[in-house]
Amino acid sequence: MEYIIDIQGIKKSYKKRKSKEIIQAVKGVSFQVKRGEVVGLLGPNGAGKTTTIKMMCGLLLPNEGTIKINGIDIGKQRLKALRHISTVLEGNRNLYWRLTVRENLEYFSGNRGLSKKAVSAQIDELLERLNLTHKANEMVNSLSRGMQQKVSIAVALLSNTEIIFLDEPTLGLDIETSYEVRKLLKDIAKEYNKTILLSSHDMPVVQEICERVIIINEGRIVSDERVSDLLELFDTKAYSFTVNSVLSDKNLKEIQNHFMAELELNDGMQSVITVTITHSEDFYKVINLFEEMNIEIDKVDRSIIDFEQVFLKIVKGEMKREIAATV
Amino acid sequence: MFFGIKVVGDPSSMETNIQYTIVSYVFWFLSMGAMQGIGWSIMSEAQLGTLEQMYMSPMGAWRILLARIVSTTLQQLIILAVLLYLSMLVTGTWLNIDVVSILPVLIFTIISMFGISFMIAGMAIIIKQINAFLQVLQFILMGLTFFPMSISPLLAVLPVVKGVDMIRGIMIQNQTLLDFHWADYASLIANAIIYLVLGILVFKRCERTAMTKGVLGQY
Repeated sequence: MEYIIDIQGIKKSYKKRKSKEIIQAVKGVSFQVKRGEVVGLLGPNGAGKTTTIKMMCGLLLPNEGTIKINGIDIGKQRLKALRHISTVLEGNRNLYWRLTVRENLEYFSGNRGLSKKAVSAQIDELLERLNLTHKANEMVNSLSRGMQQKVSIAVALLSNTEIIFLDEPTLGLDIETSYEVRKLLKDIAKEYNKTILLSSHDMPVVQEICERVIIINEGRIVSDERVSDLLELFDTKAYSFTVNSVLSDKNLKEIQNHFMAELELNDGMQSVITVTITHSEDFYKVINLFEEMNIEIDKVDRSIIDFEQVFLKIVKGEMKREIAATV
Repeated sequence: MFFGIKVVGDPSSMETNIQYTIVSYVFWFLSMGAMQGIGWSIMSEAQLGTLEQMYMSPMGAWRILLARIVSTTLQQLIILAVLLYLSMLVTGTWLNIDVVSILPVLIFTIISMFGISFMIAGMAIIIKQINAFLQVLQFILMGLTFFPMSISPLLAVLPVVKGVDMIRGIMIQNQTLLDFHWADYASLIANAIIYLVLGILVFKRCERTAMTKGVLGQY
């Protein structure tokens, strides 16, 4: 199968300005994206997300590796590859603040070789679709941050490319605006059938919009899973056991010798211990272990692990073993 | 400036001095705009943060910048024409405005200016803050536009010098295109092509360096 995005072993290192120390921002990242897929690139600050996206846009040259966009090697035929990509870069760096919304849209489509006349109707349609018609003739610097982000997205959509890269699209937005932009991106993914690669450290954005998530940390991919699989995997494997007694250190150690377990509460009356298991049959082994230790279980709850916790655990490396076991 | 020439200049050569100053001054003004234009454009885009977005264009940044500099130079030529007539009016000295003869020479002279502009833009892409250099450049450009070729024929290898000298010949000495030797044209055209090609190559090399170092979007 030919992938619309094919990245093989990209590496990027920088020299720090003052100390001349070499920083390895990306240490051999490889992944592929299918046509029409919506993929999230998730990672903490400094993980290498923006560097990866910039290399995919040809704004940064990798030290090693290849990036193919629709079969075109961006390192060799950058301009040809750019015909397939539009990008919403991080922050307020996508628009001319002293131009109006419409002028920005016209200018950027001109930069892609489209005439003002050719895109006029499309601009009207997009402004209407994004609820920006009443702001069309207002200068961008008078718009709210959320509105500006919407205009940036409109610029990307106007290019009519198959691929859209979004670098931290909700960064710096308040909760309400972030929700609005999230909803817009979700609708775009559904309606326009674009291949979207979105980088973020905002978990709900990725959870809500993306089908697949690539988690990157310290310049390496630590996980590449479908969002639903990741959630399912961690959602069903953690249980909270409430016992009507104080769990002794000896008993706790015994449980921890067999399973990944954490004492959540020990208030002198009750103890709550969360056990994370790899296989479903381990659940019965936990019950047996409690029985062997003569500990009466009062309650068993399935712990709900949200995407944020999954992400944190993967980034900390705690869940690498579990992922490896399931892949 | 013209008043100064009138007060302290040699009265016997005053007319020629004024004519010489008008032509050189007008070209100094033109070269400042044309040679610094792309550099300023890069700096301003970097400051606004839109430089990387410009680099996302499949047209190529150099083409966008070339289109910008051509349009601003055309605007500047209108201002220049006004400035030229104003200077002539103020000094009461009239020059030979033979558009047919001036235009071809002017086009090649401007092309060599664009080449230098691309070199400066290349520098701006990597260093960004080149304001101090641009200030100094004004005086270098003054030298280039005011130097007569009579000093040394080797000056023909520098940008602008040959073109301005030929235009001075047309405007001051009433020369026409037929009065120039083929070597003059060869030198003028070669100068324009070499500087433009060299400028674009330097610019593209600097782009690559900026992309390797990761300083394209930095300011």
